[in-house]
Amino acid sequence: MAAYLSMGEAHRRIGDYLSRVVNAISSSDGAALASLISVSSAPGSTPLSDALAAFPDFPRLAGDRFPHLADLLIPLLRSIHSHSLQRFSDAYSSFEKAASAFLQEFRNWETPWAMEAMHTVALEIRLLAEKADRELATTGKNPDKLQAAGSFLMKVFGALAVKGPKRIGALYVTCQLFKIYFRLGTVNLCRSVIRSIETARNFDFEDFPVKDKVTYMYYTGRLEVFNENFLVADQKLTYALMHCNPQSESNLRRILKFLVPVKLSIGVLPKRTLLERYNLLEYADVVTSLKRGDLRLLRQALDRHEDQFLKSGVYLVLEKLELQVYQRLVKKIHIIQRQKEPAKAHQIKLDVVVKALKWLEIDMDVDEVECIMACLIYKNLIKGYFAHKSKVLVLSKQDPFPKLNGKPV
Amino acid sequence: MDTTNQNAVYYDPQRDVSVPGPTQSVTNSEPHVVQSANSYVPCLTSVQHDYNAAQHPNYYYNYRQAENDSSVQVVVQSPGAAYQPLASFQNSGSYVCPASNTYYNAGTHQMAPGYATSSYYYYHQNNALADGSSVNNHAQSYQSYTPDIAQSSNSLPTSSVHYQQHYNQWPYYYDQSAQTLGGLAVAGSTTSITKAAVVGSDYVHPSDQPPPPGTTSWKTDFDNSASPTAQAPGIQGYQNQYAPKATVAPVFQNQYVNNTAGISTFQNQYASSEYRHSSANYNQLPLSIQADQQNTCHLHGSSSNVSSANHVSENSRAPGQDSVTSNVHMVNKLHIQTNPQIAPGLPIGTPKVDKSNLEADSSSKPAYVCVSMPKNDLKAVAVQGGSEAVMQVTGSFPVSLRTYVERSLARCKDDAQRTAIRRMLKEIITKATADGTLHTKNWDIEPLFTLPEIATGTNMTGTGNDSSPFSFPSSRRSPSRRTKSRWEPVPEEKVANNVEFPKQSAKSNICSSLEPTKRTSNSWHLSKFVPSCQSPLSQFSQRSTKKQRTGGGASLTENGNVSSDSVKEQDLTKYYVSSITIANSPEEKKRREHRSMRFERRQGSSSKSGSSLQDEDATANIYTRRALSLLLNRSNGDGAGCGLAVEDLDWDTLTIKGTCQEIEKEYLRLTKAPNPAEVRPEHVLEKALHMVETSKKNYLYKCDQLKSIRQDLVVQRIQNELTVKVYETHARLAIQSGDVPEYNQCQSQLKRLYRGGIKGCNIEFSAYNLLCVMLHYISKRDLLSSMASLPKEAKKDATVKHALEVRSAVSSGNYVLFFKLYKAAPNLNSCLMDLYVERMRFEAIKCMSKAYRPTVPVRYAAHVLGFVGIDEVREANGADGLEECKKWLRAHGAVLSVDNNGELQIDTKVSSTSLHMPEPENAVSHGDTSLAVNDFLSRAS
Repeated sequence: MAAYLSMGEAHRRIGDYLSRVVNAISSSDGAALASLISVSSAPGSTPLSDALAAFPDFPRLAGDRFPHLADLLIPLLRSIHSHSLQRFSDAYSSFEKAASAFLQEFRNWETPWAMEAMHTVALEIRLLAEKADRELATTGKNPDKLQAAGSFLMKVFGALAVKGPKRIGALYVTCQLFKIYFRLGTVNLCRSVIRSIETARNFDFEDFPVKDKVTYMYYTGRLEVFNENFLVADQKLTYALMHCNPQSESNLRRILKFLVPVKLSIGVLPKRTLLERYNLLEYADVVTSLKRGDLRLLRQALDRHEDQFLKSGVYLVLEKLELQVYQRLVKKIHIIQRQKEPAKAHQIKLDVVVKALKWLEIDMDVDEVECIMACLIYKNLIKGYFAHKSKVLVLSKQDPFPKLNGKPV
Repeated sequence: MDTTNQNAVYYDPQRDVSVPGPTQSVTNSEPHVVQSANSYVPCLTSVQHDYNAAQHPNYYYNYRQAENDSSVQVVVQSPGAAYQPLASFQNSGSYVCPASNTYYNAGTHQMAPGYATSSYYYYHQNNALADGSSVNNHAQSYQSYTPDIAQSSNSLPTSSVHYQQHYNQWPYYYDQSAQTLGGLAVAGSTTSITKAAVVGSDYVHPSDQPPPPGTTSWKTDFDNSASPTAQAPGIQGYQNQYAPKATVAPVFQNQYVNNTAGISTFQNQYASSEYRHSSANYNQLPLSIQADQQNTCHLHGSSSNVSSANHVSENSRAPGQDSVTSNVHMVNKLHIQTNPQIAPGLPIGTPKVDKSNLEADSSSKPAYVCVSMPKNDLKAVAVQGGSEAVMQVTGSFPVSLRTYVERSLARCKDDAQRTAIRRMLKEIITKATADGTLHTKNWDIEPLFTLPEIATGTNMTGTGNDSSPFSFPSSRRSPSRRTKSRWEPVPEEKVANNVEFPKQSAKSNICSSLEPTKRTSNSWHLSKFVPSCQSPLSQFSQRSTKKQRTGGGASLTENGNVSSDSVKEQDLTKYYVSSITIANSPEEKKRREHRSMRFERRQGSSSKSGSSLQDEDATANIYTRRALSLLLNRSNGDGAGCGLAVEDLDWDTLTIKGTCQEIEKEYLRLTKAPNPAEVRPEHVLEKALHMVETSKKNYLYKCDQLKSIRQDLVVQRIQNELTVKVYETHARLAIQSGDVPEYNQCQSQLKRLYRGGIKGCNIEFSAYNLLCVMLHYISKRDLLSSMASLPKEAKKDATVKHALEVRSAVSSGNYVLFFKLYKAAPNLNSCLMDLYVERMRFEAIKCMSKAYRPTVPVRYAAHVLGFVGIDEVREANGADGLEECKKWLRAHGAVLSVDNNGELQIDTKVSSTSLHMPEPENAVSHGDTSLAVNDFLSRAS
């Protein structure tokens, strides 16, 4: 921690920091301001934090020197101080006060020069809140800071979602909000933000910075996965993938993590090389099972990665692939039968299917298999009909196994 | 014209903004409707002719959409009203949806909806009239309807088709609501009679009649003179009525003149005291209500039609009927005057009149009058009581005057004082009326005269008087509103309550006006409990609120209603009525008042349009005074405990130790600090839980008991195994009786408790949770998160495993597996699955009829769809399940046939197009059968 620091030196350092902040504001230097107010990225001990530790009366110093910005500066210093002491909850509380004061000022500034600083504030408040929540959770208190950060960011969003040049910055805040909501599991709160982004007249989506657009598309795509709107999800995630910085492998992976299951569910299978390259091998078995019609493999894969899939939210999507696997299985049986018995190629006995499933060590009685066949027909994965009396699946002569062709089941 | 301007004020867009509900519903229909809702006036004035063609379709559409939805109807109908000059009378009366009417009254007379409504019903009655029979049932009238319309509306030949459609719908609608409407319509005409009586009499008479709550002197008069007239004739035919009518027309004028103090024209009067008028209308209500029980005589020119409306039960049903009646009255008036114009058959003339009451009176002779005669009804009596209250003096005083009077009376401490003050007020008013200053005087700054006795001038809350300044005939309200309330099971009880009320209401001052009350009541109860009516109600209520705000005094009164509710906790004979009682209890009322006050204040300050500064000031005064009185009321009033609003309570300081030793306790939602003497300590609660567990009584009783146990646990902050056990017990019971909402409450509490580390059957309940989330499809994400949060060991549990299997069966559509699992469900899983069975079966039969060709044996379907093999006992009987399956299949549109072997088969090809979900027999318009009163009653008994 702090080596010995004379009062005078501490005083000087704090004064220096304060005047740099005030100068950045008065000269409208957004970048400088942004770097000055990023609290959470600072290491444990900085010249400034040492000085704050050595000079506990810093609030009065700030108040005396710059009374007009005292609302902003005092909590900011407090936050930096608390953060250096690893008291994240306090740091968050102080930072939120500073951020509110900053937002107040920001509203009054006509030009968006401080956008960068505003974004830093949005980012910082989220990061600090996450730290604070971790700290609160370990001490057995209610971790509610991230939620508070969410409501603060909504205020920021409100300040940005106006006519004028500031609106460009709104999407960044939206993305921060998404991150918070996804973390909190309150994704339904995203809806209001999305609505204002997508319906408000003052936003033209193309005007936003690309990085924000990619993030936005990624999150909204994920939301569509939850809603099982696979076509829309496909569209959004594909957009994100196409516009994502190709250098950013981890981001690409994140997008693919959701795009692959979505593509699978509309009948598009990825190459194995893709899965390998982006380390998405948890999907490899799923893909193989789809190719082979191997129901057992699919179930095993789901079982093995269940926690992972549940957490990311694709479990239900992958589970739905079962019907496609059945389709594949029946198709295989059909192909074999065509070779063996061309005259009866289009009539598949239920017994055969049951036998095949037994072979896969899947225990299903005749009624259940019959039900599955009915479902396949019902969902247009098989063209034909089922004759109950003779227990025969009669396939259509034309295209008995229609491809999904980008349509979800 | 002037009308336009005034209307504009009332329909101020800003105000409309606050009414999302109605707007939405309206939006569905078409631009027309929307307009009418938001800015009614412009539409009417500009496009009268056009309405016919365009609006009728809309009308129809709306109608279908929400058969009970009054708002929609109203809006749409307004154009209709314009077309049919004749209709206006009865229509107005007939308008079923009390709420909308009510609002209408409260707000502005000109409300389009009210008119529309009137016209709507009007059709009905017209038909009846057309038939030529003296007494027609509404039911009869439908067939003839179309021609009628054509006749009545000269300009609408094109629209006849639409009408036809409407009519078809009607019978249905009619059954539900028409009766009520009819009654109301009658009321309108009656009202006019009443007016006549009123006119003759002085405004304020000291009245000693106790029974009519809130009745002021003229009411009494009114009763004496008017009601006899109305009632006595019974169903004698129109001649009798006619006579009153004749007098009425002139009377109207007179009355108005009086009211306006020298201003002879309608317009003027309205301008000066629009608000007042509405209240005046109210006065007529009582009569109308009495009258409306019976038959309506419709007199048009020389020809008279009589349509009968039966009302009795409806009165109680339809909240705010009184207000409706008043509306009717308004309409009637207008019509009477305008009829001459309309008589020639000019559609235009009518619309004008209807839409703008204000303008109306260019011609003062009544072309036709509709009179209704009352039959005697038991309920009618009850209603009457309430209505009388309505008739209060409010007449056509300016708002500020009313406020003034109220202020004066509020200072009274006892009846003697009040009587004295009333006398003085009467003098003052008479004088003001005489020298024409009634409307010009600024009553807001008029000094109050000193009280006869020095007594306690400051304290307005005397013992019995507490609520009197604001008390409004609660009796009146309760029958109508309450009945709709969610848990209000027993209408009879309501009536009883009403009867008790008069005492209180009798004390009420002149000032208490009905309208606001109604508004409040409607918005409160109706909106909550009758979703279908909600949008309209809220719309109207909003408007009326706004208007009241403009009017200053009005808002006061409105709040007053709430307070007037004060039904001491009587009639708690049945435990399940408790919720209602709470609503009535003084504390609750105060709280509500408190809340609404806050709300109003905010609104009031923000609304700048239309209201003069003075008025606003007056309003503000009222608020502060009201707040004061509230405080006083609280401190003086109920001895039950301190009157802090719940949200102000500091729970930490209120953690108490109960001392109550009673094992059984009814659940009563706390609205104040818990009283230790009424709270049971833990060991008693344990006994209580045991008592519930072993009780043989029905679920409702147990639910109530468990809720009270839960409450006692909460207020004592007991969170231990007992708490968990109580919630688990309740959750299980709820599952067994299909009470999902209650189950959800318990489940969320249990989740919290388990997380706190308290032991219980958390695995079992995580299975239930899983099933619940899945089967009710709250959202995929919830399902995911509850799956992800399952602990490892839970997944080995049989119940959880079963739940997970059910989930996968549902998601893959594997109905065979689903019903297999259904048969083998452990614990209460089957109860939860029960809730999904119907959906699963329907999905399955759709699937089967598409996949199977040519047929599927019914026996097989019964097997895989779980009709057979579930119940062992039934199994013994064999055919039972099959029979049930057959019935189910037929009900869902499957086509069955018998094959060569005599085996019953489902013809899949035909069935695949004919399958449908049958209309649920117990469907209710608001979509939740558990909220239906009848259903509740059947469960309770």
